[in-house]
Amino acid sequence: MGEGPVISLRDVSKVYRQGSVDIHALRDLSMDVEAGEFTVICGPSGSGKTTMLNLIGALDAATSGSIVLEGRELGGLNKKELSELRRDRIGFVFQAYNLMPVLTAYENAEMVLWVQGVDGPTRRERVMGLLEQVGLKGLEDRRPSELSGGQQQRVAIARAIASNPAVVLADEPTANVDSETAETLLGLMEELNREQGVTFLFSTHDPQVMERARRVVRLVDGNVASDERR
Amino acid sequence: MSGPNVATLAWRNLWRNRRRTLLTLGSIVFGVFLAVVFTAMQDRNWKDMIDLAARLGGGHVSLQHPEYLDTPTLTRTVVRGEEIEAALDGEGRRIARAVDRIVGPTMLATAGENFSGAFIAFDPEAEDETTLSILEALDEGSALEPGDSDGVILGHRLASNLGMELGDKVVYTLTDRNGEIVSGLARLRGTLRTNAPTVDGGFCLLPIGTVRDLLGYGEDEATMVAVFLEDQRRSGGVAGRLDRALGETVAALPWNTSQPQLAAFIALKVGGAVVMEILIAVLVAAGIFNTMFVSVMERLREFGIMLAIGWSPRRLFRLIMMESAWLAILGLTGAFLITLGPYVYLSSTGLDLTAVYGGTVEVAGVGLDPVLKVGIFPRNAVLIGLFAVVATLASGIYPAWRAGRVQPVDTIKVV
Repeated sequence: MGEGPVISLRDVSKVYRQGSVDIHALRDLSMDVEAGEFTVICGPSGSGKTTMLNLIGALDAATSGSIVLEGRELGGLNKKELSELRRDRIGFVFQAYNLMPVLTAYENAEMVLWVQGVDGPTRRERVMGLLEQVGLKGLEDRRPSELSGGQQQRVAIARAIASNPAVVLADEPTANVDSETAETLLGLMEELNREQGVTFLFSTHDPQVMERARRVVRLVDGNVASDERR
Repeated sequence: MSGPNVATLAWRNLWRNRRRTLLTLGSIVFGVFLAVVFTAMQDRNWKDMIDLAARLGGGHVSLQHPEYLDTPTLTRTVVRGEEIEAALDGEGRRIARAVDRIVGPTMLATAGENFSGAFIAFDPEAEDETTLSILEALDEGSALEPGDSDGVILGHRLASNLGMELGDKVVYTLTDRNGEIVSGLARLRGTLRTNAPTVDGGFCLLPIGTVRDLLGYGEDEATMVAVFLEDQRRSGGVAGRLDRALGETVAALPWNTSQPQLAAFIALKVGGAVVMEILIAVLVAAGIFNTMFVSVMERLREFGIMLAIGWSPRRLFRLIMMESAWLAILGLTGAFLITLGPYVYLSSTGLDLTAVYGGTVEVAGVGLDPVLKVGIFPRNAVLIGLFAVVATLASGIYPAWRAGRVQPVDTIKVV
């Protein structure tokens, strides 16, 4: 990883066309995310949070502007390169966990490493360490249906950071769990951020998350309304 | 603890909806079972018909004068000399038996009546029911014995029309190779009852040695050499080789050339069977396709997640195709296990349809076995298996392609 921000957005716009109407989800948005940040994106519904994370996550393409991840301009990459970028440099934590129901906790956490082609012993060492780190030691063989919501989200976090990504994009990671579990999950992610330097970019409405963030970016009408660093 | 791989993941995905998978497997098993039994019945039926036709006519391969097929007269003959024997020996064990026959028209007369008919002159020492099936229709009296030079067997209606009883004399008249009328005297040894008017009312069997002498043929001369094979499916190949080996003086004709009407009938039935099998295959394939497609459409969100975390469309394609492959493997295994028992029973014991037919079944004077048996040609069994695999895999192609076309941004919600 070179010098400069992990993520850099410059004059990014995204326009969706619905029938004959153009909807401007993002309007010339510019923003940087530095390595090791613990950042929250918040804002009212329709402010562009979804669109922004979709673009940073290389799941969608901007209508105009530039998005650079670790020095690579996403607009210049083809589908295969974008897929490899997501696999190797971006971790996803979804609101609904989105684990593979037919895989065990271990196998879910291992999946990205498997897709990367990492050898078995290395995968095993890495995944067992991660599961212990997220507090799931002894539950490796359980399937998602045999885990609580909090435990499933821990597996999702382990999966997201297994490949040492440049950034973890977390979609309302505490929305489906009780406040106590949310507190535990946030503590876990804070610990990963603090001790391993994992960069987190959250989207949330949860005040609990916003309280813990070291940077809160508020979007309004597709642009940055405020950017508070703590 | 081992990590997932595409085969394991596909296997587990298959059992996420156990009921649907079992129904799909059931349709594969049932389809293959139907195809195998249906094809086995047809294969056995055609084999029996062709063997029967060979026994009624000129064998699986007929060696005859090149012009005999178009103008079957007693002047067009072949001599079973060294050349023919060498050619037959060259085929080795493919040939079960080769017998000489003289076939032609005759006029039969007693003191009071005369009627025309057709005759087959054969060697009673060399032939029995296995090569001359009409002998199975012997009604009264006895078959021609080896060495019997003046016996004749007539259709029972012909014998009746001639006013003959067993042991009575009849004069048969032929036209020899020089166009001269020649006659022989024979005694009635037996009668045939086939319920086929042309046989019962106008057919007779004569000893070949006597007819040769009468016609002025040489010792090994006949209008045809009927060649019987171990496996009728080799008729074309054997006939082709014999034809090339024997040059222009002798024509070697497979049964489907010497009996074009039967060949056309069987071709028609084969065509009908192919249509039926295609219908079964399409129905089974449609069922599998439906299962795979629904299964994929239900998991679009999951595929979106997989693509988001770095799965390639190609890997997703492989996953779905692997699910199809598992279906094919399980379906074929199940089909084998389910089909084996009934097949073994039907091929060895068979179904007795005597009650259905209301007695014996006869075709052209030859009793057909009322016990329905099956016997599939190995090639057809392999083809059915291959077709089942290909149809199952092909059914997965579009769903697999569709899975890889999922846009993660459309199927998952990041924020």
